Amino acid sequence: MKYMLMMNTMSAGAGVPPWPKADLQAHIAFMHSVNRDLREAGEWVFAEGLSFPDQARQVRAGRSGVPITDGVFPESKEFLAGFWIVDVDSAERAWAIAARISAAPGPGGAPLNMPIEVRPIMSGPPEEML
Amino acid sequence: MKYILLMSSTQSGVSGYHKWPQADRDAHMQVLGAIAKDLVDSGEFVATQGLVEPRQAKLVRGEKNGLPATDGVFPEAKEFLLGYWIVDVATAERAYAIAGRISAAPGPGGVPTNMPIEVRQFAERAGQ
Repeated sequence: MKYMLMMNTMSAGAGVPPWPKADLQAHIAFMHSVNRDLREAGEWVFAEGLSFPDQARQVRAGRSGVPITDGVFPESKEFLAGFWIVDVDSAERAWAIAARISAAPGPGGAPLNMPIEVRPIMSGPPEEML
Repeated sequence: MKYILLMSSTQSGVSGYHKWPQADRDAHMQVLGAIAKDLVDSGEFVATQGLVEPRQAKLVRGEKNGLPATDGVFPEAKEFLLGYWIVDVATAERAYAIAGRISAAPGPGGVPTNMPIEVRQFAERAGQ
């Protein structure tokens, strides 16, 4: 079963966190170790980090079909910072991976305990859409 | 340059979609299918995926003992990711144009939904 793990921790206007460099490096090293372990377990499908929200655009189609872009977001909007797609045997395993990511080290090495949204991935459109 | 195009909505938006006439849902999925095919043909396609309904989502935090604490109760107004497209394009404008096409996919009665699509570039990784 495939699951998507989403880290929605960014807010509009935020860039690299103002942490000591050693703490930032420990955080990144931790994320690399999570990805390495997932690859070794055969559970890794895909993972990417996204650029900061100042580069995000919201696009709608105009009447003529020309895209209308807007880059102004409310301060309270949550932005996706990165995501993992994992292929695991159970929902509990997906939650365990999410908990490990949640505990990634922050300033001073203390676990961030950030929330990670976990969603099953569809193998195709739901039957009622076909 | 790689971009992710994010389609989000609330639980009530998803419930509304399920009430569309079948023919309208078919037409909507047909257009999304045609967009994916065009992206494959132009060599810009990387991945696309739909996610299951928000009611199956869980929010997980790591507890002190390392065990996951899950919560599945979300406010009605919370936006959920419905699906995404990852594209590899020459310019940001091209990513916006693709998002515009997705936004114009037909809704009830064939009228474009004009739903907003969030467009984000992938972060560049150090050492790559």
